[in-house]
Amino acid sequence: MNRHFANRMTPYLFMAPAAFIMAIALIYPLGYMMYGSLLDWNPSQSISEAEYVGLKNYVTLFYDPFFRKSFSVTLTFAFFVVVFEMAIGVGLALLLDRNIRGMSVLRTLFILPMMIAPVVVGLMWRYMYHPTVGIFNRTLDNLGLEKVDWLGQHALMSVIIADIWQWTPFIFILSLAALQSLPQSAIEAARIDGATGWQQIWFIKLPMMMPILIVTALLRLIDAFKVLEVILVMTEGGPGQSTEILAMRISRTASEFRELGVAAAMSNYLLLMLMILTLSMFAFTRLQERRSARLAAAIQEDE
Amino acid sequence: MKMLKTATVAAALMGSAALANPYADYEGTTLIVNFPAHPHYDAVMQILPQFTEETGIEVEVDQLPYLAMRERQTLELAQDEGDYDLIAYVVFSKADYVYADQLENLAKYFMNPALADPSYDAGDLIDGYVYNIGFAGGDRGYLSGKTGSLFGLPYGSETSVLGYRKDIFEKHGLEVPETYEEMLALACQIPELEPGMGGLASRAASGHHAAHAFLLHLNPLGGGIFDDSWQPIMNSAEGVAAAEALKQIVDCGPEGASTFGFGEALGAFLNGDTAMYLDTTVVAGQINDPSRSQVVDKVGWALHPMGTERASQTGGFGIGIPANAENKEAAFLLMQWLTSKAGDKAVALAGGNPSRFSTHSDADVNAAFPHMATFGEALQYADPDWRPIIPTWGKVNADLGTTLSQVLTEGLDIQEALDGVAERARATMEEAGYYTWQ
Repeated sequence: MNRHFANRMTPYLFMAPAAFIMAIALIYPLGYMMYGSLLDWNPSQSISEAEYVGLKNYVTLFYDPFFRKSFSVTLTFAFFVVVFEMAIGVGLALLLDRNIRGMSVLRTLFILPMMIAPVVVGLMWRYMYHPTVGIFNRTLDNLGLEKVDWLGQHALMSVIIADIWQWTPFIFILSLAALQSLPQSAIEAARIDGATGWQQIWFIKLPMMMPILIVTALLRLIDAFKVLEVILVMTEGGPGQSTEILAMRISRTASEFRELGVAAAMSNYLLLMLMILTLSMFAFTRLQERRSARLAAAIQEDE
Repeated sequence: MKMLKTATVAAALMGSAALANPYADYEGTTLIVNFPAHPHYDAVMQILPQFTEETGIEVEVDQLPYLAMRERQTLELAQDEGDYDLIAYVVFSKADYVYADQLENLAKYFMNPALADPSYDAGDLIDGYVYNIGFAGGDRGYLSGKTGSLFGLPYGSETSVLGYRKDIFEKHGLEVPETYEEMLALACQIPELEPGMGGLASRAASGHHAAHAFLLHLNPLGGGIFDDSWQPIMNSAEGVAAAEALKQIVDCGPEGASTFGFGEALGAFLNGDTAMYLDTTVVAGQINDPSRSQVVDKVGWALHPMGTERASQTGGFGIGIPANAENKEAAFLLMQWLTSKAGDKAVALAGGNPSRFSTHSDADVNAAFPHMATFGEALQYADPDWRPIIPTWGKVNADLGTTLSQVLTEGLDIQEALDGVAERARATMEEAGYYTWQ
């Protein structure tokens, strides 16, 4: 009996250190934040001094026009960023998936923006968008065109452009990897059957890349919800609230308004949304796996 | 006075170490202080070795960017035992720290004859700065008054002045503006006289930049944020006039002015893109630095123009002793030394912002920085109630700044926008308990 019990417990024993570390590193901070979001908590107070207010922070936020505006800015930003980055990234990958001389140099060049620190990217773009000395307006001026108030009238668009510049390479390298791992047989078969370049892309390559593309897009989407540094440096969320994405609102709520409880509640709303996205990502992969298993089974049956 | 003289003579005659050196007990102590990365505190770094030499007290400085400094202090001050013996705090932290009982009341140090220097002359400290930055518990809870007391001393404080391009004003025979009317007229006249040049450089970016610029005009034009019973009044006719002034300044300012932060506004003036600059005195040191400025020796200074009254900005930093500090008495000695007449003069000569009237009129200081006399005059009008220093200010300020930015960039109606701010401010104040007694 004892030996049996010991045998059964062994795996749990081996797992215990990992579970313990998980609990400390993941569950505890998360629980702390959940609990914090139920408090009226000023950073000058310790958590035990803060007053418990139940779900008040969540309810207040729900009706707070600033939070809702920030939420909608975040959604707009994430939507445009992901759509454009996917289109350009995948397009570039399709273009560069061939053997030309100097290809490796080109590929390295393309992924450079991703390697630059976000604060530097923010500063660089802020100066390029500068109304008088920035390169964009100077070029427009030299061409005799009217200058554009980049970070004033078109702040969100300008911020989106900067993010596209920085993160398209991420989509590009993942798409390129996906393209290069596609089975050549299917593409060759299509070519022999007389498919044109476009048809190969549209009917063979893209559908076969789709599972990876979906995951890539979701990863990017999750990331886009949390962008902070670039926007902080470029616009500080302005003008008005036009570029104040949620991550920035959270940071301001905690440090400027000194409302840690509300900031925690806001983070939980963000977490909730990201959870939904992540779960849908898992659900999609599961669905794909099942579908391919079904197809494989059907093929076996046919044989 | 006579007694003081006698004591000094006696001390000199006796030459006793105990009398002559009040620092003896603290020799060898190491103080850990937290200062911001700021031009004034860069100057302080230059005079600290002199303090160590005179007193034998070592000083270790933890210098942080000012936003990071505030976060660090918030964490540090909440501990049972803190790392810092002396901190520099930004003015609006006063409300939070004093309210949370995290700053030492300075009374017991000034009462202690072994610590307090009789020749300190507190009356020479600039009133507006002391009440704005150091005082708490008086009128409205954050100003001077019979119930108040001192929690910190102003150090690295600033007020607002008008900088103008002497060459441009001379070229077109313009008068330096004395009143708001004159300044606003000039702001829009200059772009016509000097094509490509903006009138006045102002901050306007969303958030505290726009709010700060609005506040610069609000008090001189007779407005305020709250009335005596904490009802928001920023949407009064005076408030609307201040917002209109800001809008006019931005509209007649350099290109892209509506998104300028502090750095861009100053940059525009240093670059020669505007003919006037209305903001803090802290920038004076950079104007004549040829590596940063293209307007060296071309800038004159004048008082912040008058609206219905004169009321220039009060802000910047103060120094205080954390309640959880380890070496409080030695920290007080450092604080007293830094803000003494000699210390204040030394820091001014090193390029810092003096906290005393006498330093502003000092001959040596004026020889090195000729603008100091004008700044000293401006300080007489420094308004300690320039902005409310209460815990809820952060939220009201952010709302004000965001909404004003919408006024400047999206053409929101000024009255409507400020009515919105007032309504939300009332809700914030209500929640914080400001209407409990009404």
